[in-house]
Parts: sequence; C-alpha cells; structure tokens
Amino acid sequence: MNPALNKVLLGITPIALFLALWQSLISFGYAPVTMLPPPGAVFLRLGQQLFTSDFLHEIAATLVRLFGGFGIAVVLGVTIGLAAAVSPGINAVVKPLVRVMAPIPKVALYPALLLILGFDHASKITLVAADALFPILLSTYYGAAMVEQKLIWSAMAAGTPRSQILFKVVLPAAMPSILTGCRIGLVISCIVVFLAEMITSTDGLGHMLVQAARTFQTVDMFVPLITISMLGLILNSLLHGLRTYLLRGFPEV
Amino acid sequence: MSVVSLRSDAQAGSEPLPALKPASAMIEIDHVSQRFQTSGRQSHLALSDINLTIDDGAFVSILGPSGCGKSTLLYIVGGFVQPSDGAAKVKGKVITGPGPDRGPVFQEFALFPWKNVLGNVMYGLRQQGVKKAEAEARGRKLLEMVGLKGYENFYPKELSGGMKQRVAIARTLAYNPAVLLMDEPFGALDAHTRTRLQNDLLTIWERDRKTVLFVTHSVEEAVFLSDKVVVMTRSPGSIKVVVDIDLPRPRKRAELLLDPRYQKYVVDIEKLIDDTGEDEIHA
Amino acid sequence: MITPRALLEKSAPLLACIGLLCVWQVASLTLQTESFPTALEAIRAIPSILGDKESLVNIGASIRRMAIGLSLAVLFAIPLGLMMGRIKGVASFFNPLLMIIYPVPKAALMPIIMLWLGVGDVSKTLVIFLGVSLPIIYHSFQGGKAVEEKMLWSGAAMGLSAPQRMWRIVLPSALPEILTGCRTGLVLALITMVTSEMIARQSGAGNILFNALDMAQYDTVFAMIMVIGAMGILFDAAFEKLRGRLVRWSKPQHDMPLSFS
Repeated sequence: MNPALNKVLLGITPIALFLALWQSLISFGYAPVTMLPPPGAVFLRLGQQLFTSDFLHEIAATLVRLFGGFGIAVVLGVTIGLAAAVSPGINAVVKPLVRVMAPIPKVALYPALLLILGFDHASKITLVAADALFPILLSTYYGAAMVEQKLIWSAMAAGTPRSQILFKVVLPAAMPSILTGCRIGLVISCIVVFLAEMITSTDGLGHMLVQAARTFQTVDMFVPLITISMLGLILNSLLHGLRTYLLRGFPEV
Repeated sequence: MSVVSLRSDAQAGSEPLPALKPASAMIEIDHVSQRFQTSGRQSHLALSDINLTIDDGAFVSILGPSGCGKSTLLYIVGGFVQPSDGAAKVKGKVITGPGPDRGPVFQEFALFPWKNVLGNVMYGLRQQGVKKAEAEARGRKLLEMVGLKGYENFYPKELSGGMKQRVAIARTLAYNPAVLLMDEPFGALDAHTRTRLQNDLLTIWERDRKTVLFVTHSVEEAVFLSDKVVVMTRSPGSIKVVVDIDLPRPRKRAELLLDPRYQKYVVDIEKLIDDTGEDEIHA
Repeated sequence: MITPRALLEKSAPLLACIGLLCVWQVASLTLQTESFPTALEAIRAIPSILGDKESLVNIGASIRRMAIGLSLAVLFAIPLGLMMGRIKGVASFFNPLLMIIYPVPKAALMPIIMLWLGVGDVSKTLVIFLGVSLPIIYHSFQGGKAVEEKMLWSGAAMGLSAPQRMWRIVLPSALPEILTGCRTGLVLALITMVTSEMIARQSGAGNILFNALDMAQYDTVFAMIMVIGAMGILFDAAFEKLRGRLVRWSKPQHDMPLSFS
C-alpha cells in the first residue's frame, strides 16, 4: 500500500474512532440527546454556521488572538532562549526569572491583564503569549545549549567569525528543538485563547460556548468546541509540514 | 629543524627524508601545558610541558593511550582551546583562535545536518566570499576527488560513516588550509572502511603535501601514514619519544604489511606505549 | 565556606522575585491608573485576605479539590499507564482514545460537565482529575515501556510473580519518568483549578479573584494573584524536594517545557 496513504489513514483513524464512540454513546442510550447531541447534528450546525458572517467573525476574533499571542511567544521565546544559551550574563538573569515564573499559573494573571489592558484582544493576546512563551523559550535554550561543540569549531575553522556563529550554526542546529517547543506552544495557545474567551469576552469561540451554555443550547455549545479542536488539528498539521521541510536533513529522533 | 628526541629502539642513524619542500617550521609548540578545572577547587593536568616542532609538509601522528591529552594538544593547535601555559604558533604567529589555515577533521564527522553534501563542502568557500556558482563548481570537483560524485544532493543522514568522513575531508580541503588537523578521523569506522580511507587520505595528501597532524591510538595506522610518530605518556601527557618513520613513499599497504622494517616500527612503538605503565592483570 | 558566587546563585530566584516586584512598582507608578495598584499596595492587602475567614474557606476548598483530583488521578493513572507500557493490548486499546482527549482543554469542558453534573465540587474535581490524568498516564506509559527486559527476567528467575514484578521492579524503575508526569500534572492541576473556578464561579481562589474584580477591589485582585502565584511556587518547590528524595539514584531529568531543572 502507498505509504503516504497509510499515513493519512493512520491520522484519520483516531478521529473516526472518536466519532464512532460519540455516536454510540447516544445510539446505545448512555447519554440523553439533551445533554449530548449526536455528532451529525453538531456537524450539520457547524456547516450551517460556516456560511454566516457572525460565526466567521467569531472565528476571526479567536484567530487574531491565537496568532498574535503565538507569534509574540515565538519571537520572544526564540530570541531569549538563544541569547540565554550563548551569553552567560543573560543566562544568569533569565534562569532565575524563568524558575520563578514558570510554576505560576499564568491564567491567575488574567484579571490583572483585564484591568490593565481591557476586555478585548490585548489582554487575551498577552495571556496566550505568556502561556506559550515558556515551552518555546526552554526548548530553544536547551536546543541551543546542546549544539555539538565540534559543529561550531568546524564552522569557525572554515572562517566563520564569532559574531555569525549564532545565526549560521546555533540557530539551524537547534531547529528540531525549537520546532518541538513551537508545537507545544501552539497547542497551549489554542487551549488558552479558548479558555480566556470563556472566562470573559464579548466575542470569539470560547465566548460562543459560554453563551450557548447560558441558553441551554447544547448543539451550539459543541460547535465552538469542535471548531477549536479542528483549528488546532489543522494548525498542527501545517506546523508539522513546515517541520518536515525545515528538518529534511536531520535524522529522525 | 626537526625534533630529534630519545630514540630507544628505533633505527639509529637513519637518513632524513628527502624533503619535497624546504624544511621550515609550520607549527611550533612551546612549553604548552593544559590544566582543566574539574569541580570547585579540583583541577586536572591534561598536558605537561609539551615542546614540539612540525615541519611544513610533514605527516605527523600523535599516538598515546586514552586520556593522554593528544586530542587536547590538537585542539590547542587548532585554536579551539587556549593553553594554560605556553603557546602554539603557526608560521611564526601565535595561535589565538581557529582559522582557515588549520582545518579540522573530527571523529564524529561534525557535518552540518541542515545542509546537503554539496552545501557542506561549499560552506568554507562561501564563507570566504566565493560566488555561489564558482563555489558549487569547486565543491563538485572536490567531491569527485574524494569519490563521492553523484552524492551532492544527499543529506549527511543518508550516508554511511565512511562517506560522511569523505564529505568532512572534502569540506575541510575546500578552504585550502595549510595544516590538516585530524582527530582520530577513522576511529568510528569499521576496519575495512578504515583501511580504504587511509589509502585514500595518503593519495589525496600526496597531491599537495599539506602539513598533517593526525591523532590516533592505533600504532599501525600511525606507522603506515606518517613521517614521524610522537609517542605520548599517559595523563598528564608529555612527549615520551618522537620516532622517525623511514619508509619509502608512496606507501602501499600490501607491500608494507610484509615489510620487516614496518613490522619492527610497530613492535617497537607498541612496546614504548606499554612501558608507560598501563595496569596489567597479574595472572 | 560558601563562596559569594554560590550565594548569589542560590538567592537568584529570590532576587528575581524582588526584581519583578520592583518592575511592577515602577510600572504602576508610571501608569497611574486606578485599576493598576502598586506592588506595595497589593502586598498590604494580602494579610486581609489571609485573615478573612471566607477567603480562607475558599482557598481551602481550592486546595482540597486540587488534592482530591490529584490523588484520584495518581491512583488511577499510574497503574493504567504502567499496564499500557507493559501489555501491548491495553496500549492499543487506550491509545487512540487518549490521543483524541489530549488536545482538548479539559477546563473547556467545564460548561458541558456543569450541564451534566452541576456547578459544585464534583464538576471541578472531575475536570482536575481529567486534566492531571493524561500527562501521568503518558509518562507512566513511557516509563513502563522503557523498563529493561533483562531486569524482569532476573526477577522472574528469582521467583517473583507478575504482580510482584510490577510492584517491585517496574514501578521503581519507571519512577523517575512517572514523577516527571506528576510534575506536569501538578502544574496542570493548579491551572485547571484556577481556570475552572473562573468559569464556574461558586467557590475557590479563582472565584475570589473575579469577585474582587467585579467589586472593583483592585488591591485584592492583585493580592490574590500573588497568593496564587506563591501557591504555585511553593507546591512546585515542595514537589521537587520530594522528587529528589524519592529518586536520588536517577539521572537528572529535563522537564522540557516546564522549567530549568
């Protein structure tokens, strides 16, 4: 069988299983339809919604916050991670800061962000960035710190000045680690943006869920949940594709 | 001005090799010592007062038991490590850092995984500002020379150990260093690939006779390849003896293996290393 | 004798805290908005929170829910993960299911769970349980899988039965990896706890936060954030100490996305 086809099937199987499980819970009467609508109904509603500008507006709002926060986290995380790996001075400052801030649930800062930045995009983008930052920073740091010394030496002997080593050797060599961190950061970004919108918001997918909950519209509750999961899966595959291209020379770990 | 130190059992009174280049010092190692901080107040003396001169065009092996500091000495000449005491010079100038005049080849190959074979080989050329088209052409020629024509677009992960080392050698030769620093380059390869690469290395070397500093722990390899073998004591490493290898070039493995002079060199040097006091099991 | 450098390294986290508080202080003084109190004002509000009976009850409830969720998760997830690691059939059965549940934010299931189970303790504890179980299952699975076969053969040769081997060989050797999972679980427990309380307001630390927000008691909001932050740091430090004790014999672990180990 075609290996590419195999891969696709492998990816679809868990989703298919999940849908089958979902449907069977209803068909076999384990869950009443009022509490758990059948997948068919949810997807039908999703399909309907996709043509409404309101729904598209909600998706847009969520995506703006998602990409904004993730983008900031990537830029900051990679920059600081690389800097901390090559400069002992920066390392000495960054390390204790990360040790202190990492165990604090960033979502606890959310009310503060709401107060300072308001209830719209800014507070959510900041929260997403704060949560996604640490995995990216740490993966970049460890990836850069563990670059094989002999690679750097080879480049230096070939005439690379010290100032260029960071971009010509450390960054490419640390790419596998950086991209792993980005993947984790992306998953976290999807989760956090959704939760932030659920806690307080005026628009976005999370807000849609809470709205539907208030009016006991179960089908409408599942639509945004399924949407964010699908968005997450799509973005994840895109990132995976990028990773495969960028890391085509690296041996599989 | 070659170094003539104690020569225990090696042939006395052998003629110096007919020089292809006028004898001049390429590398001078002057009272070099190396001390590493291990933890807190502890430190470990890796090299102790090394004095060595290496002529231009000479193929010199550094031989010794594990941990004797031979790789460290190579790294000092390469400028990757700064000596705690003394200094190393290349062409009269003190070595302060790495440079394209001293090209390394490492046991672990150290190829850039994000570049393909041709990209790796071209790296030094591009670094020197050579235009892409020309760098590519020169890269291809080098790859052909090391026997890897057709592999330009492969990535290092797709190559065998022997092939990777060929790429590494091509990459270093690309920027035309005056000195080749080889750190147990064939140590990670199987015996068969190893002998092939030894032969190929000599063939390549014969073309322009660069100065080579070759670290190994294999006595046979050292004797087969070199003009001189520097035998080191175990840690803290110092030079026990420098042995001149008076065997004709070009060296053919099949002939040499049967040559009694070659065999005597190997036996004598092995005894020299044994004398450095390795622990023995007394049955 | 401790060198000044070692002293600096040990106190670095504390200095980092003080540094952050200073930055906060300066930032709030520059912005001069009512809704952004200074660090000092917030710190002064902490004793009143800790002294207030109702707040303590709330915080206690939070910790209680977290503890129950964590304990249940540990009791459930570790055996499941280990069995998945050792018995192929179990793994094949649960793997697809877990792969789907993994990316779904458990706290996002809050409204749905609330619909089924109401707004009280049960739904919040359930969400914490779900959130924590997954990393522990995953790491127990990895740890169980990596146990060297030869160790188990030696055990069998010594006369240990299958359950005995599980308890006396698999569990201890998988312990470092399991504890890595527990650390991730602890972090998630805290996050899920706070988030679930922000969504399903009724009791708990997250509830105090948003009540204060609604009532414009800005000092209390920031003070509560500091309390929650301190809880996070304390729990993590306590756990790391425990982990060090339990697996003194193992190599240092790199908890990749969590922190500098």
